[in-house]
Amino acid sequence: MTLCGALFYLLGGITVLATVLAVTRRNLVHAVVYLTISFFATAALFYLLGAPFLAALEVIIYAGAIMVLFLFIVMMLQLEGVRKAPAALLRQWLPGVLLGAVTLAVTVAVLLSVPGGRPGLATAMAAPRQFGRVLFEQYWLPVEIASFLLLVALVGALYLGRGEGPRP
Amino acid sequence: MIVPYSHVLILAGLLFVLGAVCAAARRNLIMILIGVEIMLNAAGLALVGASLRWHELSGQAFVIFIMAVAAAEVSVGLALIVHCQRRTASVDANSYDLMKG
Amino acid sequence: METLLLLLLLFPLATAAVNALAGGRLPRRAAEALACAGVLGALAMAAAALILAGRQVFDVTFLSWIRVGGFRAAMSVHYDPLAAVMALMVTFVASLIHLYSVAFMREDEDYRRYFCYLNFFVFAMLVITLADNLLFVYLGWEGVGFCSYALIGFWYRDPANATAGRKAFMLTRIGDVGFGVALALFFYLFQNLSITHINAHAAALSPALATTLALLLLWAAAGKSAQLPLTVWLPDAMRGPTPVSALIHAATMVTAGVYLLMRLFPLVMLSPLALKVIAGVGAVTALYAGLAACVQWDVKKSLAYSTISQVGYMVLAVGAADIVGGMFHLLSHAFFKALLFMAAGVMIQALAEEHNIFKMGNLRRLMPGVALLFLGGSLCLSAFPLLGGFFSKDRILLATFLHPEWSYRLFWGLAALGALLTPFYSMRLYFVAFRERPGGPEAQDLRRTPKLMVWVLWPLVVLALFDGLLNLPGGIGKNFLGHYLAVVPGTRPDLGAPPALEWVMGLGSAGAVVLVTWLTYAYYRRPRRGLRPWLNELLFEAFYLDRLYLAAVVRPCQRLSAFLWRADEGGLDQGLERLALALFRPYRRFAGFLWTKFDELVLDQALVRAAEGLLGVSRGLGFWTTGRVTTYLKMLLLGLTGFLVALALRWYGW
Repeated sequence: MTLCGALFYLLGGITVLATVLAVTRRNLVHAVVYLTISFFATAALFYLLGAPFLAALEVIIYAGAIMVLFLFIVMMLQLEGVRKAPAALLRQWLPGVLLGAVTLAVTVAVLLSVPGGRPGLATAMAAPRQFGRVLFEQYWLPVEIASFLLLVALVGALYLGRGEGPRP
Repeated sequence: MIVPYSHVLILAGLLFVLGAVCAAARRNLIMILIGVEIMLNAAGLALVGASLRWHELSGQAFVIFIMAVAAAEVSVGLALIVHCQRRTASVDANSYDLMKG
Repeated sequence: METLLLLLLLFPLATAAVNALAGGRLPRRAAEALACAGVLGALAMAAAALILAGRQVFDVTFLSWIRVGGFRAAMSVHYDPLAAVMALMVTFVASLIHLYSVAFMREDEDYRRYFCYLNFFVFAMLVITLADNLLFVYLGWEGVGFCSYALIGFWYRDPANATAGRKAFMLTRIGDVGFGVALALFFYLFQNLSITHINAHAAALSPALATTLALLLLWAAAGKSAQLPLTVWLPDAMRGPTPVSALIHAATMVTAGVYLLMRLFPLVMLSPLALKVIAGVGAVTALYAGLAACVQWDVKKSLAYSTISQVGYMVLAVGAADIVGGMFHLLSHAFFKALLFMAAGVMIQALAEEHNIFKMGNLRRLMPGVALLFLGGSLCLSAFPLLGGFFSKDRILLATFLHPEWSYRLFWGLAALGALLTPFYSMRLYFVAFRERPGGPEAQDLRRTPKLMVWVLWPLVVLALFDGLLNLPGGIGKNFLGHYLAVVPGTRPDLGAPPALEWVMGLGSAGAVVLVTWLTYAYYRRPRRGLRPWLNELLFEAFYLDRLYLAAVVRPCQRLSAFLWRADEGGLDQGLERLALALFRPYRRFAGFLWTKFDELVLDQALVRAAEGLLGVSRGLGFWTTGRVTTYLKMLLLGLTGFLVALALRWYGW
């Protein structure tokens, strides 16, 4: 086991633990915070897997923007004070957990038996300059479409969130 | 050599399943959205691993698009939740059953 | 020629059909005109055919009709002078009667039914007249029987009329049994029902068979022509409208029996025994009916008995093997009897349905035309010298007298006696109805009758008076009819009598008739007491023949049928009821058991459970449509899981 491998398993463990905690918290703010931790760990994983630019983007967009947005909404809607409904624990969780376990088992089984998964990953680093070139040379169209998408999302979110404004 | 490629994929799969379980099992609308975010993130992780495996930068480019889509979707989704909450004062998914039957 | 004969038959049938089917939509005058046109058309055809045919014989087949196995019956026609003369007479008299009927039935609402039947009757009669195939004759035979029934009982709302119609039908039917048996026998013997064929091959029969067949035909003729013992229906038949009596019971149907015998005469004459029986029946009936006619107070009944008597003379002629004489008398009788009936009809209508001659009177003064017509007819009927009936009746008597067999002298005696009675009862009618009677009807009591009814009678009276010219025994028109009919097998144009005998008989009968006429006139000048009551009643009831039948046949039948009815209601019906009840109880128990145990428990429950099961399934399926996002997300996850598992299984080669 190399250093990077050990690091990988450690970061992976943190990610999984944080995600599990986030999923099972009743308190929304707690869940969001735990998820933020998960995203930070994921960013570190990205760096480890040779995508520094993406790691930065993960922190900025996911952990930074999206989670903060979640927190905003939670605070805006004052959901912490919402009455907690009695947890029908088994009935609520069992189907999902069962199905998830089956899916996981199948996936792991297949992945471990496929010969294509054996070779180890060599360390490499994608230079941002290189990455940007690929992005804007080969995938300029999706970039434009993504920007358009963001515009649409902006307008949509604005409209939906407007609420009962003063009538003209 | 970091890890065998399948381990990365297994990790991504595990995270994906966790997100799926969260989306399926939680009643709060915001938690459902959080589950969706976890799933998207797991997909991104898998893509990055693949990109490293074949030394292709396309994988990483795709992750950017995933992030963009996730962002857009989260903003619109949360705006929807706010809208619905204003109308019915509930973020419990079970209370929205007008389509029942 | 074929066309003429076909149209001759079809005209009256067609107008009958039109009147039956569409008469309701036509205006009254149109329907009546149509009916008359049918018969007048037939008359034209008959006249044309007579003229064109000369004395030729035509055999025409219209339709092959029945072909079953070896049995063939065609609608074929045998047109010889006999048929020609008969057809002409039938259509002529029928035409006049149709015209008369238009006026007579002017106040009756059922004119459509009347004219339809009348036309159909003419058609059926023409079928009998012309037909060659005996089955075709039988068709017409039954047709006239039916029309007679329908027309006698025309005013059916009075039960007595309907009963009279039924009586006529039943009695002629009894005669028709003879015809039916004869048909079967004919077929058995000849395999062919054609008259020409039978006449040609009749000589091959043994005398016994010939006698049997002839007697069967006599029985049939006796039914239709109202000869003894089947006379009782004709007096009752007077309940029908007077034109019906004139047509059916004077000129046509009653002569159909005689006509049939004449058509099959080559067969009949093979059996001297049958001829003797025929002559005997004719002679006895002539006297019998003549006696009955003497005391009738109803003018129509008197004429009815007179008809029976005169037809008896025709039958006697056939028995004496004198077809020409019989036909001659048939023609004369048709003319003057139709005339008498129709004149009587005028009188009856004028006097508001008064039939009793003793209640009539003053009519010579009040209805001079009718008086003259009635006088003419009566004189002809009584065989007044030189008038129509004289020569024909004389010839018949001569033929009977000339017959070598001694029994025929007896018949001659009876017939002569009848001939003496004839002037009495016929002139009696005239003298009583038309005399001056102080208490009788006056001008204001008379109802107005249409002139048409009288106008149609003048041609008839002319014909009646002068039809002696048809077959004078001597002089210019000597045996005219006889020679015309000579081609018909079995006829003898000339009787071959010694002239002296002819003169003696002729003068003798002439004198006798004149004498009796004068005596009748003298007798009825003053009111008379009449005969002894018992004698009067005996004659009036025609020797109680009708009562005899009533007691011997009708009442036992009625009693038997009443008994059977009671047995049916009482015994049979009750028995059936009890049986039904006895069967019903166990059945009911069984049905109840089935109902509760099986039907309710098993079947119903099965159905209910099946329905509930389905409901459960649908409810179960409906469980998933919660409308909740969480449920659908779980479903998505489930689908994903399933997909991945399937992929994995495929990967592992399962």
